Amino acid sequence: MLAGMAASAGAAWGQENPAGDAERRAFDLERRGNYVEAAALYREVLRQTPDDPSALFGLERSLSAINKPTDILPAVRAALERSPGTGAFYGVALRAWAEARQPDSVRAIALRWAQVTPGDEAPYREWGAAALGQRDRAEARRAYLAGRQQLGRADALAAELAAVASQDEDWPTALHEWVVAVGKVPGYRAGAVRTLGAAPEAIHPDLLALLTKEQGGAARGLESDLRARWGDPVGGFETLAATLPADRAQAIEALTGFLDQLRGQTGSSSRRAQGMALSALADRTAGAAGSRLRLEAAQAFADAGDPTEARRMLSGVAEDSTTPGSAASDAATTLVGVLLNEGKVDEAQRKLAELKGTLASEDWLALRRGVAWGWVRAGKLARADSVIAGDSSVDGLALAGRLRLFHGDLNDAIALLKQAGPYAGTREEATSRTALLALLQPIEAESLPALGAALLTVERGDTAGGVSALEKVAGSLPGEQGGAEVRLYAGRVARIAGRTPDAERLFRAADIAGAKATAPAAELALAGLLLDLDRPTEAAEVLEHMILGFPDSALIPQARRLLDEARGAVPKT
Amino acid sequence: MKRRDFIAGLAAAAATLDPAARLLASVGQAGWLLVPMDDAQSDHLKAYGLTYRAVQRGVRAEWLLNYRSGAFLIPADPAIPRDAALSGITVEPLDDGQVLRIRAQIQDENMDAIPLEKAPKVAVYVPPNAPPWDDAVTMALNYAGIEFAKIWDTEVLRDGLKQYDWLHLHHEDFTGQYSKFYLNYAGAPWLLDMVRQSTATARALGFASVPEEKKAIARAIAAFVERGGFLFAMCTATETLDLALAGQGVDIATNYADGTPMDPKASEKMRWELALAFQNAKLELNPSIPVFSDIDGHQVNSLDRRQPLGSFALFNFSAKIDPVATMLVQNHRQVIPDFYGLTTSFTRRTLKPSVTVLADEPGAPWVKYIHGERGQGTWTFFGGHDPEDPQHQIGDVPTDLSLHPHSPGYRLILNNVLFPAAKKKELKT
Repeated sequence: MLAGMAASAGAAWGQENPAGDAERRAFDLERRGNYVEAAALYREVLRQTPDDPSALFGLERSLSAINKPTDILPAVRAALERSPGTGAFYGVALRAWAEARQPDSVRAIALRWAQVTPGDEAPYREWGAAALGQRDRAEARRAYLAGRQQLGRADALAAELAAVASQDEDWPTALHEWVVAVGKVPGYRAGAVRTLGAAPEAIHPDLLALLTKEQGGAARGLESDLRARWGDPVGGFETLAATLPADRAQAIEALTGFLDQLRGQTGSSSRRAQGMALSALADRTAGAAGSRLRLEAAQAFADAGDPTEARRMLSGVAEDSTTPGSAASDAATTLVGVLLNEGKVDEAQRKLAELKGTLASEDWLALRRGVAWGWVRAGKLARADSVIAGDSSVDGLALAGRLRLFHGDLNDAIALLKQAGPYAGTREEATSRTALLALLQPIEAESLPALGAALLTVERGDTAGGVSALEKVAGSLPGEQGGAEVRLYAGRVARIAGRTPDAERLFRAADIAGAKATAPAAELALAGLLLDLDRPTEAAEVLEHMILGFPDSALIPQARRLLDEARGAVPKT
Repeated sequence: MKRRDFIAGLAAAAATLDPAARLLASVGQAGWLLVPMDDAQSDHLKAYGLTYRAVQRGVRAEWLLNYRSGAFLIPADPAIPRDAALSGITVEPLDDGQVLRIRAQIQDENMDAIPLEKAPKVAVYVPPNAPPWDDAVTMALNYAGIEFAKIWDTEVLRDGLKQYDWLHLHHEDFTGQYSKFYLNYAGAPWLLDMVRQSTATARALGFASVPEEKKAIARAIAAFVERGGFLFAMCTATETLDLALAGQGVDIATNYADGTPMDPKASEKMRWELALAFQNAKLELNPSIPVFSDIDGHQVNSLDRRQPLGSFALFNFSAKIDPVATMLVQNHRQVIPDFYGLTTSFTRRTLKPSVTVLADEPGAPWVKYIHGERGQGTWTFFGGHDPEDPQHQIGDVPTDLSLHPHSPGYRLILNNVLFPAAKKKELKT
């Protein structure tokens, strides 16, 4: 018996199926771009089986590709006669009438379709989509509103109406409809935020005021995301926190969604909001994952300049018995950084001493150098010296060189900075060392405490005092023996600090005939400044003077590049 | 090596780094300046600008075809070494004896010296709000420091082209279908802006649709060539200009462009005798495929038909017999990597018999760079969008030509700018 059934089934599978073959061949032709023959074959199939949906859709695709979408109408009429209850056929008919630019027929088909599938939004959605395809937003809105009325649901087709309102730049309506749409389907939230995010900045306050009047979790979620997107991330978090669902999983989803909105934002308030959201997330996350989140929150608060909150997070990590060893060590490292940022160098040094043995040697040395810099910024050079004693790494040599320089001991400083070479620290640090060496080279004195003190003033963040002190040092040196180079250095410091008039004055003062290496560098720096100040003609004049006056300077390629920028010959970098 | 020798060596090396700057002092003794265009040149692209500016000042320069990859010979002038030094261009001072020897060599070999007498007035056909880094020619002209004017539809239809000798077209779609990006980039701000601007311009100029207006622009451009203008086109402008010219009276635009579908028999109705370069092409009927016809061999935006990039080789011509073609192919590289554009290449099958092929991909059914005449003027078509950005995508960062100062592809563009400066010689073939 079983064998007999199997044999019978085998015979059935083995039978020829001409319609199926034709359909497969039609699909293959369509795939290869031979739409005309594909359409002919699909028609052949439909002659035998007028209500074959695959063939009808294939014919629709092929005719559309050869720009004859309306030719499908006879076939779709036949399909509807055979199967008047199949909603998808109405969709094909509707699109064809839309292509034929017959809005009355589109409307009639949509209404017939709606009668066949009562309660379904699809007929109205397709009707509206067809109208949008013809760029007729008014007709699309009519379709959606008709659907809403006919279906008797206030939330019907809300996302579609929101999208049309957004395109019309009718932002209050778009906002209301998006709230309704997100309330019905939370998955619309990201799209709603993206669409509403395009609203002009001037009307953001009005929209937020409208949003606060909307009730429900969807409105609060949108408000929180939009605040985060529109420059008030802390306000966004506070909105979210006030309405966080009691359900843990839902709360985590809401917090994660909020953090996604802030991803990539690095400003202080964004980092603070991230810290707050991470902290809330950590409170709902147990074990090692919770410790990691607290650590991330601490880093975010530290970046936001909020050491108190950073330390609170870190103490939470330390007190949590489930914290893994690596997280505890990361927390301690972060804490040292927080303490240094707060200027609590003594405490940071003590904490670091406790960490000895728990950190990799390189990490520990790096933190120790951080502590030494902390003492430099506190103006306590002797303590900085003692912290780095015995550090023979290239980074240690680089730091020791800087310390000797702050003491005014130029010979030792040059020797140590040269030993550190170009590989210590970051690229910026290496460039800064090279600039220091260029500064020191023309100075003939072995010791110049005034220069060290001036550079220390700059390092401690007093740019105005530092620039002024550097100018005094420059005045005490012959121009060609360091005077011009110190002025150039002071100009660069002033420029970084945004003191452009001082920078321009100092660059011009550094450009003297006797200082042959300094003059082209000063002219290049001046030209760069003028270009930034949107004075390209003056910049071009300075650069032309430099290129023609110092043809052997190593800075010529940079000068030519800048000249191209000043003349608009290449895109500005 | 002794330290003294080492320092002397360094000084010598430094001297070779910037020979143009050193000329400032030595130019007084030289009667001539040679701008080499072989591998000794430190910035090939800016060298064209240097020569253009010299000719613009009234200096009678010469283009030494096939001599040192198309060098320029310029009577010594204090402004030139200064210009060269500022731009980092290599120039070599020559005395009369050296120039005589060069002339003798030119006489004996496949070379020629073409006088450059009048700097052509250059216009680039570009929408008013196009960014300066939008097309290869604008970038090349900006980089080389060659002055140009921007013109658009209103100027073209009001006889504005009469003021110019040289007209450049780049990625304009003269079929008026917005490069057929309408469906694929629906809603993109740049596309909406393009549609808004084009529609407004067409209406203001009294046309029923953008395609009809663009056809009128194409006719005006063809008339410019007939009157003696020099036309250079790249990318889509090549193919669509000819489609617009041959499609007079035929609906070659899809319904989103003019409200009516494209004529399904458009290919059969085209009047190819009106086109500059192409004939017997088949138009792409599918509005959603950003391809215009089978003129383009590479079909970059058709997933099924897209062809990979190879390299194209420049043809050699007889400098003394066919100087125009020779000028257009002057280069320090004979084989150049290919680059895509919406129109990348031109299928051999669709070329009119009168077309001169300047470069092709050997063995492939397409060519890259073509030239021809219409009335008193000439046209040159170069396929592809940006020679130094072979896979250019919309929104890519602009090419910075200071990173490609020796670009052989960009040299071909600049050959076309200087070519109208050449004193016309009657072709012997």
